[in-house]
Parts: sequence; structure tokens; C-alpha cells
Amino acid sequence: MSTQSCSTENSSLLPSFGRLVRRPEAGSFIGMLAVFLFFVFAAGEIFVSPAGFSSWLNIAAEIGIVALPIGLLMIAGELDLSIGAVIPASSLMVATISGHFGLPEGVGIIAALSMGLLIGFINGWLVLKTELPSLIVTIGMMFSVMGLTLGLSVLITGSTSASITPSELSQFLLGQFIGGMFQVTILWWFAAIIVFGYILHVSRIGNWIFALGGDRVSARNAGIPTEKLTISLFMMSSLAASFVGISQAMVYQSAQVAGGQAFIFNSIMCVVIGGVVLTGGFGSVIGVVFGTITFAIVNQGIYFTDLDPNMGSIIIGALLLIAVVSNDTFRKMALNYSNKKKS
Amino acid sequence: MKKTYRSLLKLAVAVFATCATTTVMSANIFVVGGKPDDPFWSTVKRGAEAAGLVAESQGGSVTWLAPQNYDNLGIDAAELIRQAISQDADAIVGPNWLPDAMDPAFKAVVDAGIPLIIYNAGGLKAADHLGAMNYVGSDDYKAGVAAGEYFSAHDKNNLVCVNTLPGAANIEANCKGMIDGITAKGGVGATLPLPATSFGSSTAVAQAVKAYLLRHPKVTGIYTIGNLDANSSINGIMQAGKAGKVEVGGLNMDATVLANIKSGKQLFAIDQQGYQQGFLAVSILNSFVNYGLTVPTREILTGPGIIDAKNVDLTMLGVKKGMR
Repeated sequence: MSTQSCSTENSSLLPSFGRLVRRPEAGSFIGMLAVFLFFVFAAGEIFVSPAGFSSWLNIAAEIGIVALPIGLLMIAGELDLSIGAVIPASSLMVATISGHFGLPEGVGIIAALSMGLLIGFINGWLVLKTELPSLIVTIGMMFSVMGLTLGLSVLITGSTSASITPSELSQFLLGQFIGGMFQVTILWWFAAIIVFGYILHVSRIGNWIFALGGDRVSARNAGIPTEKLTISLFMMSSLAASFVGISQAMVYQSAQVAGGQAFIFNSIMCVVIGGVVLTGGFGSVIGVVFGTITFAIVNQGIYFTDLDPNMGSIIIGALLLIAVVSNDTFRKMALNYSNKKKS
Repeated sequence: MKKTYRSLLKLAVAVFATCATTTVMSANIFVVGGKPDDPFWSTVKRGAEAAGLVAESQGGSVTWLAPQNYDNLGIDAAELIRQAISQDADAIVGPNWLPDAMDPAFKAVVDAGIPLIIYNAGGLKAADHLGAMNYVGSDDYKAGVAAGEYFSAHDKNNLVCVNTLPGAANIEANCKGMIDGITAKGGVGATLPLPATSFGSSTAVAQAVKAYLLRHPKVTGIYTIGNLDANSSINGIMQAGKAGKVEVGGLNMDATVLANIKSGKQLFAIDQQGYQQGFLAVSILNSFVNYGLTVPTREILTGPGIIDAKNVDLTMLGVKKGMR
């Protein structure tokens, strides 16, 4: 009797906790918490001061805006490396059009965003038409855009950099530091989280994306417009990348041909730490957000400690491996659980 | 002295002999350098190309070889040097960034009887050690010392050198020079090494600088090793709430850096005059290969020159033309 009651009690308690632990983002949440606590102890007060928070939030916001659509792409089973070239390209485009030529900033911003959309469209179209892995297609696109940026920049401005003095409005919207330290990009990131969260978890497009990453053929057979969806996903990631490029130009009031490549691996890293499975079909927006924050904390936290900054990359590397291993474990737990229920 | 002269003469004869077998006397010069989208290296490339106009008018050519990225700098650059040898270069110009990785490749150049000039990094010491004709460039250690002394003269005595290319010999020497320069004047200096992925990423550098300043509130001067890093550091200082208290001085400059110097956001910049490095190295080799002309001055220094509020206007003119 007593064992009977005990087990019923357990089963009523466990599922709620169990369900929580088995959610795809549980692993990344625990990882984020661990990393945060580690640096609170290692770095002390400064790290939890507003200055400390802003330090990693600024980093997280910039990567986060790109990592969100990359996360969606990866859930759909695709990759986009061309963002590493789109960021400096759009940065330079704004600075050249509005800084060098002095045209209205609206023109520069719209041109840069359109370029982002166009590159995304070409990426998606090429992936569909060539049926090559998107890794290869977007690497090709990355080099093409990089070359074009360098070539055109030298041809047009005769230099590899351009500077821009943002108008008050764009300074306020894109280049502002709230309280002198919180980049306004953070608010844009929050907005992006809501938008992408809605797309993936509320709207029916979300289910399509999961279906696409699970099995492309049966997704198409089920009537999902897979081609449109793939192209839109690539356009989203490119658009986000060009947005980050524009806001960088406004924040630093200058643009350079180089830079941006770090975003490629960093964004993928954030997504993977956030629990998205590399093969697609599994992941969540909130997980990607946790992953991004974790990455940013490690990246920044190291400078608040007495640890050798040269060692920072080791922690990031180790973290990535731990994340992938634990994601796997959590996913298996989730799958086992549902199997048991069926039987 | 006589010996080197004689060996140079021998070299000239050897070169003459190899050239004589081909029909046209011309110098195909290969220049190994940084990425052409690196603002500093684009001026070096321009200098090399300007000298290349003379080489071309005499039937020769100038080929610029650069690595795709700086992730594997020493090995990639050594590979480029060997590539130049295998393409039958008549003369080679190369920077000795990472001696351990690149020395064997440079030795192969000398062993093949190809005239070699070390430029940009390495100094005369490397040129002598490798058997190169000459060194054209600034002395990195001296540039660092000059920075340290300039900071000290402006009452900034607690410094940090932000190193976004840890492991590169010239950058390490720069930071060491800055530390020695300020220590000699009674101040203190340190190095903040950042991972190589942060090179070129404004946000990464700005946030690292900000974090460092919060952690080390006594720091009053920041020395950066790239033009982009200087601008990023200024942003980091602003975010740390230390604008006006912490000053930035940097190696290299571009339009943004000069605008910052003019508006007082940056204290000074150390210029190694990259255009001259490319221009002089190629010119010397071209006239040597074609006509056996030599420049007896050993160690041709192109820097350090200091740009501050006093001479910023003239410098801006040169930048506008892409020469500085």
C-alpha cells in the first residue's frame, strides 16, 4: 500500500519537473546558470554591476540578432556562413552611400537591407536549384561577397574603410548607448526574440520549419511550401546580418572591409550551445537566447577575472563540446520518455 | 663590409646570368604582405604598386601575395614565400612576422640566389641573420618606446597595450617597447592579449577594453596595435565611463583615426609609413635586379613617426589620396 501511494505521489510530482528538464532548452539554461555563477565567483562585484551586465549584453545582442535566424535555419537543417561577409558589406554600404556620398541615411539603410535580402534570396535559390549542401553554397557566397565588398570599396572610395556621422535619429535608434553603456542593439535583440519566438513557436510556420528539418520530402508531401520556406529562412538570416552591419556602422561611426568573420562561428556556436541539433528538426528560440548569453558571458567574463585572456578560447571550446554532449543526453531523455509513454 | 659587397656583386652576376638566359631583362618581384583589405596593408600595397610602375616600364612586374586571413599567419606566409620561389621570382620582399615559422622559407630564397629584402617586420637583425640585402621598415621596439614616452610626456603613466595579434613578433616587440618606455619614465605598463578572432571585430575589442578598465581602474592610457582597435578602444573607454580620463594612442592610422586625433578623441598615432615600405623595398630590388644598383645604407627606417594634433592636417591630405 505504502509503496503504491509513494509511486503515485512521485508520478504526479515528477512529470512537471521531468517535463521541465526534458525541454530542449533545459540543458542550455543549466549551462548558462553555471557559467554565470562561475564568473560571479571568479570576477566578483564588477561582473554583476550594470557595467558588467552591459558588457556581455552588448556582445550577446549583436550575435543574438544573427543567431536567432541562424537557429531557425539550423532547425530547418540548413547553414548560412555568408553572414560573415554580409555584415561588413552592409556596414560599408551604409557608410559609403550615406557617409562618403552624403545621401540621406534612409537610402543607405534601405540599400543595405535590400542587399541583405537579395543575398539571402540567392543563397536559398542556389541551395534549392543546385541541391548542394547549404554549407558549400553559402561559403561560396561568403567569398563572393567578401571579394565584391573589397573590390567595390577600393574602386568607389579608394580606401578599405569609410566613416559616417549618423544623424540624430539613427544615432538614437541604432547607435545609442543607454546610460552610457547599454547598446540600443539590446532592445532590437529583444524585439527579434519576440518576432522569431512567435514565428517558431506560435505561428504554423514554426511547425513547418521543424518538419522541414525532420524530413524534407515528407514535409513537401504534407503540403508545406518547402521551397518558399527555405528561401525565406535564408533571406531572414541575411537580413538580420545586414541589420547588425548597419547598427555597427552607426555605433562605431565607421565601417571596414574586414571584420565580421568571427560572427560565422560565433553564431553557430550560440545556436548549438542553445540546444539546436546540428542535423536539424530540434531546438527552440529561448534555447538559442540562453546559448547566446552563455557564449557572451564566457567571452566577456574572462576579462573580469585574473585568468589569462589567452585561455578564454579553451573555455569556449570546452563549453561547446559539453553543450553538444548534454544536448544529446537531454534529447535522448526526451525521446525515451515519449517512447515509454506510448508503450 | 668588403665581404658583403663582394657577395652582393656575386649575386648580381648570378642574377645577370639567369636573366641573360631569358630574352628580356626584367625584374619579376614578388611581395608577400598582409591582407589587402587590412587598411594598413592597402597602403603598403599601393607603395609597392607605385614602384611597380617603374618595374613594369622596364618590362618587369610586381605580384602581391597575401594570406586569406591571419589565423595561421606564420605558416601561411612561409607558404607564400615558397610559392614566390616556385614562380621564378627575380626578387622577393617579405615581412619576418613569425621568425620560427618563416625563417626556413626565407633561407630557401637566399639559397636559391634570389635577392631578398625583409620589410615591415624583423628589423636589420633578421635581415643579417637570413642573409637578406636590407631591411626596410620601422623598428617595432622603438615605436613602442616612442609611444610609452609620448604617453609619459602627457602625464599618462599607467598603460596597457591591447594586443589583438598575440604571437606576432612585431606586435609583441611593440608592446614590450611601450612597457619599457613607460617603465623607464617611472610609470607602469601591461599587455592585454585578445584572442585572434577579435581582430577586426569592433565590439569584441570595445567590450574587452571596457571590462579591462573596470577591472583596472588606475589605467590612464591605452596603446593599440591596429587602426580599427584604436577606434574600438575609444568606444570601450566611453562605455566604461572614462572618456577624457583614459587616452588612446595607437600604431597605424586611417581616416577614422585621424578624425579622432583632430577632434581630440585620440591622443596620438605612431606611423610606420607603410607606403614607403612597399615603395622603397620594390624600388631597391628593381634597380638592383635590372642594373645592379645598390643602396649602401643598411636598415632603411620608415618610422616611428608621431601624428598628433600638430601635424594631423597634412597627414589627412595624404590619407585622402590613399598614400598614408
